[in-house]
Amino acid sequence: MSAAVEQLRSEFDTVRAQLPGSVIAPERRSRAIAALCAQGLPSAREENWRYTNLRILERARFAPVDAHAEAALAQLPETPAGFARWVFVDGLLRSGTAAEDPGFSVRSRRSLPAALAPAWPLGSDLPEARLALLNEAFALDALAIDVHGPAAPAGIELVFVTASTAQAGTSYPRVHLRLAAGVELTVIERHLGAPQTGSLVNGAMHVELGEHARLQHYRLQQSAAQTTWFDTLAAELSAHAHYRLLSIGTGAQSARSTVHVRLAGAAAHLELSAAALADRQQSQDMYVLSEHLAPDTRTTETFRGIASGRGRVAFNGKIVVHPQARGSDSRQSLRGLLDGPEAEIDVRPQLEIYTDEVRCSHGATAGKLDENMLFYLLARGIGAPLAQQLLKWAFLEDVVAQIARTELRGEVERALSAQMNAAAMQELC
Amino acid sequence: MLKIHNLHATVDGKEILKGLDLEVPTGEVHAVMGPNGSGKSTLAYVLAGRPGYLVTAGTITYEGRDLLALSPEDRARAGVFLGFQYPVEIPGVNNVYLLKAAVNAVRKQRGEPEVDAFEFLSLVREKMRLMRMDESMLARGVNEGFSGGEKKRNEILQMLVLEPHLAVLDETDSGLDIDALKIVAQGVNTLRAPERSLVLVTHYQRLLEHIVPDRVHVLVNGRIVRSGDRSLAVQLEQRGYDWLISEAA
Repeated sequence: MSAAVEQLRSEFDTVRAQLPGSVIAPERRSRAIAALCAQGLPSAREENWRYTNLRILERARFAPVDAHAEAALAQLPETPAGFARWVFVDGLLRSGTAAEDPGFSVRSRRSLPAALAPAWPLGSDLPEARLALLNEAFALDALAIDVHGPAAPAGIELVFVTASTAQAGTSYPRVHLRLAAGVELTVIERHLGAPQTGSLVNGAMHVELGEHARLQHYRLQQSAAQTTWFDTLAAELSAHAHYRLLSIGTGAQSARSTVHVRLAGAAAHLELSAAALADRQQSQDMYVLSEHLAPDTRTTETFRGIASGRGRVAFNGKIVVHPQARGSDSRQSLRGLLDGPEAEIDVRPQLEIYTDEVRCSHGATAGKLDENMLFYLLARGIGAPLAQQLLKWAFLEDVVAQIARTELRGEVERALSAQMNAAAMQELC
Repeated sequence: MLKIHNLHATVDGKEILKGLDLEVPTGEVHAVMGPNGSGKSTLAYVLAGRPGYLVTAGTITYEGRDLLALSPEDRARAGVFLGFQYPVEIPGVNNVYLLKAAVNAVRKQRGEPEVDAFEFLSLVREKMRLMRMDESMLARGVNEGFSGGEKKRNEILQMLVLEPHLAVLDETDSGLDIDALKIVAQGVNTLRAPERSLVLVTHYQRLLEHIVPDRVHVLVNGRIVRSGDRSLAVQLEQRGYDWLISEAA
């Protein structure tokens, strides 16, 4: 057993009595720890973790943050019109009230009696979910969102703020979101952090979509520069459900997002658009496994990543078409842009197909800025720095253009141009 | 306006321009004609400062300044415009951003304030009408999904908005049907002015029926081998380039 796993078990033994059974039942926490001890923590020697900075796990404090720092909640962006907001700080719900309408319920599981806690289908049964097991063992709170009918607000905003340093422990955000058949919802999920804190975040989210349910899920990872941010997102889609996941990763020192989507019902559709920026020594790593388990299921993946300085961007998109998934359609367009001699890009489409009568197409490229485009802009009098910014901007457009909400799109554009130090760009936006 | 003396230039280590001399006085329109591979596009790119087009000897003086000492963007800001033979598609950068950024770059160089957004848009719309371009093209990516003719018209639109001192139009007529050629020529002709010079790089004479040049130069194997008035272009149309190639050899 490695030193990190021993540390993990010993910390668990120390805090287990204080971990709320209403969030995760004690025996399930113990099983998660046992599974982790058997499997070991992820390591950079493994193919699917090669581009993740896992060094922090060697010296992490796995126990959840107990002494909570004050978070500057006043600085949060404005809540979009018609949206209801819930704010977590270091994995604990801080603001946002429980809702108990017939068609809509949002509850912090921490406040519930232990007996009501069901077993959640998020954990050892998913591949690449070891970090989710860690969350399952230690999570202090979880938000359960159930939407059955029209009583729901236009949208839900989830804000996760990290305020404490990694020495104080790990922050374990946890969300369960269930949309009943035919329900439509927009969720905006933000990850923020106080600047200058070296924090460790390990989130887990589970999404269940009923038949014909439609979820538009915006995920903005804007953690503070010193943060290590891990996340596992698992989704299960029933027949004709449509899951649009749009992820923008600009924050954190090192970010790894593991996404596992099961297209379990016929004609279920995952539409994933993701953009990531890494500069200085940042790393942005995303692993997406989409499993086609029923006929006529669809996956559409668009990824655009830019690595500058000594930054690293990785996107590994694996699609598995099972024997029963006849008529499936998957499309992947994965592109990386290298902006500097020391930057690194790794974009990988992976396909496993176990049936005939499917359509699968993929394109993956990694390259520098197009010299013809660059010269065209220079020849119009546009200076080299602005020309490069314009082209980087254009490169991300395939993803940014997918943001249907104008105010959110503006916010994302501002965040991207700030990250790209594009003062000149802002005049044009 | 433009004086080129003994210009030698290489591309990928191969010498393309081999002692080219050319003078274009202010207010004149000159055509540079020549067979394929004679160095016409190289000349256009060298004037615009394209990386990879290496000047190994000679001088280019533009408005009394050493043009070769300027970066591509500074040349553009100083009033040099290259109309591309193959305009590049840049999805995601929209046409109106590009036009505005380009105009503001020139204004900044001249110490003028940025263009007023409203006035700018009405100016662009007026020029678009002249080029018979649909306004919806403004919101599209630069040349994105444009036909060959639309791309060329967009080049001329940019030129009309930027009002350069020296415009070098590289094979602007290639790929145009006769109607589009007339529109492009009409656009170019509106820019003819006593303070402005134009260099038309072309393979065929037909563009010159619509934009009548003051002088015609023939470029063969990296050098100007003959210069004359408009009748030279007519002569080339009838006789081809072979007789000049033999003479040059």
